[in-house]
Amino acid sequence: DQTDQVIDGCVVTVKRYSRDFLLKLAEQCTEVPEGFEITADIAEALMSANSNSRDPQ
Amino acid sequence: SSSGAGALARNPHPLENSWTFWFDNPSAKSKQAAWGSSIRPIYTFATVEEFWSIYNNIHHPSKLAVGADFHCFKHKIEPKWEDPICANGGKWTMTFPRGKSDTSWLYTLLAMIGEQFDHGDEICGAVVNVRNRQEKIALWTKNAANEAAQVSIGKQWKEFLDYNDTIGFIFHEDAKKHDRAAKNKYVI
Repeated sequence: DQTDQVIDGCVVTVKRYSRDFLLKLAEQCTEVPEGFEITADIAEALMSANSNSRDPQ
Repeated sequence: SSSGAGALARNPHPLENSWTFWFDNPSAKSKQAAWGSSIRPIYTFATVEEFWSIYNNIHHPSKLAVGADFHCFKHKIEPKWEDPICANGGKWTMTFPRGKSDTSWLYTLLAMIGEQFDHGDEICGAVVNVRNRQEKIALWTKNAANEAAQVSIGKQWKEFLDYNDTIGFIFHEDAKKHDRAAKNKYVI
């Protein structure tokens, strides 16, 4: 999932991920990230109703 | 804890770039006159896992209200013409019937964050505009005058999404001057 490129004589690792690889990781990440906060007005418009919020409400 | 989430947190997959989701709320938009005043950064992510944690919990374009704009731009680049990195840029645009852009939007995001474009450095970000009759996805790039880079990006984008209609590239400078009358500079 990574590609080495030589730039100015140095090997630089470019972090490339194929769509298939990225899709495989999707199911493991169902909870919103820790520290994610969103104001109420935006939350209503943007968040899925069944979102796995860490907020006890 | 040996839970799945714990294991993930120990082994996240870092992205080449950090990216920020921005949201322009249609209800806030109508109350505020100045364009751009209701656009807000939602979250900046730097790993594949953080991306999915947000993406899996937010509405996809088909569920967003008409008028909403949802952006994913490289960290520190604002999704505005006035941003110094965007100022000399432009955008490719694809249009979809209302409710039909979800998969293309996801594939656009995955191609960007997974660095699948040969000229990925040229990319600023992407935006989906949800409107009454259609959803539009635009890919913003930096140096509009660099035709070879823009054409390469446009061609690859169409391939990744399996999109067969013609797409056009508009310079932000022209869009500023001529609004909807701005003409495509490149077409593929």
